[in-house]
Amino acid sequence: MNVKANVGATGAYSDAEILAMIDEKNGKYDPKIYVDEALYRLELERIFARTWICMGHESQIPKPGDFTTAYIGEDPVVVVRQKDASIRVFLNQCQHRGMRICRADSGNAKSFTCTYHGWAYNQGGDLVSVPMEKEAFGGCLNKAEWGPKQARVETYKGLIFANWDADAPPLDEYLGDVKFYMDIMLDRCEEGTEAIPGIQKWVIPCNWKFAAEQFASDAYHAGTTSHLSGIMAGVPEDVDITQVAPPTEGLNVHLENGHGCGLFLRNPMFYMTIVGPKVTEYLTTGPAYEEAVRRLGQGRADVNLCHTNVFPNLSFLAGINTVRMWQPRGPNEIEVWTFTLVDKTAPQEIKDEWRRHTSRTFSAGGVFEQDDGENWCDIQQVLRGHVAQNQKFNIEMGSHTVTADNPEGFPGLSFAYTYSEESARGVYRYWTQIMTAPDWDAIRRIEQRPLAAE
Amino acid sequence: MLDDTFKAAFESKPKAVSLELQHEVEQFLYWESKLLTDRRYKEWFGLLAEDLHYWMPIRSTKIMREVAQEYTDEQGFAHFDDNWYTMKGRIRKIMSDVGWSENPASRVRYLIGNVMVVPENENTINVVSASMVYRTRQERQLDVFACERRDVLRRVETEAGFEIVRRTILIDQSTILSNNLSFFF
Repeated sequence: MNVKANVGATGAYSDAEILAMIDEKNGKYDPKIYVDEALYRLELERIFARTWICMGHESQIPKPGDFTTAYIGEDPVVVVRQKDASIRVFLNQCQHRGMRICRADSGNAKSFTCTYHGWAYNQGGDLVSVPMEKEAFGGCLNKAEWGPKQARVETYKGLIFANWDADAPPLDEYLGDVKFYMDIMLDRCEEGTEAIPGIQKWVIPCNWKFAAEQFASDAYHAGTTSHLSGIMAGVPEDVDITQVAPPTEGLNVHLENGHGCGLFLRNPMFYMTIVGPKVTEYLTTGPAYEEAVRRLGQGRADVNLCHTNVFPNLSFLAGINTVRMWQPRGPNEIEVWTFTLVDKTAPQEIKDEWRRHTSRTFSAGGVFEQDDGENWCDIQQVLRGHVAQNQKFNIEMGSHTVTADNPEGFPGLSFAYTYSEESARGVYRYWTQIMTAPDWDAIRRIEQRPLAAE
Repeated sequence: MLDDTFKAAFESKPKAVSLELQHEVEQFLYWESKLLTDRRYKEWFGLLAEDLHYWMPIRSTKIMREVAQEYTDEQGFAHFDDNWYTMKGRIRKIMSDVGWSENPASRVRYLIGNVMVVPENENTINVVSASMVYRTRQERQLDVFACERRDVLRRVETEAGFEIVRRTILIDQSTILSNNLSFFF
């Protein structure tokens, strides 16, 4: 197996070396995965260009011609609602000289015209008009061949996903068991969810996997030091913060295909401090809660916050309903793109509260998220050091608690105590596997057996 | 859509106000930013009215034809969408020992200019100003933000003379080119 991985793009690491970057059994991993330029180029090829990437929410483009621009890794795309209500996603690149076809963040358009030489595309991205076609091309330009590359598009309960790879499995199969946890946010009520208008974007100089792994697995930072001041900002002044006990009942869940999540059960402490008493009441009592019990079952209706990462870069906090895409910008930087979802049938007052509180807590200025941005960029800076890059990081938390099953009967490959890194180990192990798999046939053969089974 | 009072007040060139009023308002804005620069957060919070709305909508890139929609409206997502109580929580955070985004502390400077004053009545004064916010932190982080601020000030019997009832911050960046907005505008 000591074959050079993708020699053209990297040449730097063999498959065996990449596979050895996580050592689950000994709870160690290699921080070079966060900084290496060659590994990053390979991620763009082997992860972002082959997996299902979130483009946003259907409610952001309700009418024909409504569009947003988005990214699949570093490749810009245009996401457009069609006349027949379907959605097209195509590369935002004119195939004549490579200019960006659509230059706004969002809007409504009948067509898209390249500003360089005027090649014009319809709402579906098909090339329909070329200036001076007859005179300049002699009538032999086959326009059907020269549209921008189209991506596969599928949706799951309102979220739009795109994929470049024709051999990838359908979205439903790719998501697998993570759908069970996505539904805690997306399927509480018959009508589903809608996005609060507006996508917030900001830059954090850190590797995208810090963010992805944190949402997949890291309840520890929330229950310990990172967000103490965020919690403080959301509780009454007379509450002694040292006396606020973080919830301890819950699960850390390692899911297939690199997905991961963790959740708190039957203790809405984080709801109270993050989305406030009104939304907490809405989520945990009354008709909306009863509908959630009917639709999701008692167990999932009593999940009070589920932090999730859908591999590779879509994260959300079910209950808080902040959704984010971590857009990679080199190994050392991300753009965070985030928006808020609300139950479509929630009273307006609840939607307003939800919106104000996600802005207050999970945004660039959010009293929780400010501190994540601080931690990740310091880690990334330290990793500039030669010696720092050659240390091993500890990822052994909760190994002694790993089981193949859980009392709630929730699905997953393996489970551990609330504050644990079983899901993180799963994310990084899958990362090494997909990075060394040449195609989807090989990805399908990935052995995802977790530590618990060994 | 984006604040009709202000749109009306600045539809045409505002009438010149008395030099005294202009001076009073400017001195208030300078004082306020000095309190922030000097990290006197409790005193700064004392300048905020209990019916405060502190709001920074999100700006995005739009083609000229749709440029009227470049900001999210009041039903949309925002960078800041705070009232007096939630601002109080932010002050509690920034002054705590465990607010890591400002501990170690940032160094923040404000240059306030282009101050235009349009009194609504004797007690309520609409003010537009431009603000350049210059932040450095840690070893070499540098952030620069430019924004227009639309303030509604209310005359009060305090040493400062005014309180801030409403502050709308129109930031120029669409993608915020910083790891966080852990300070005030």
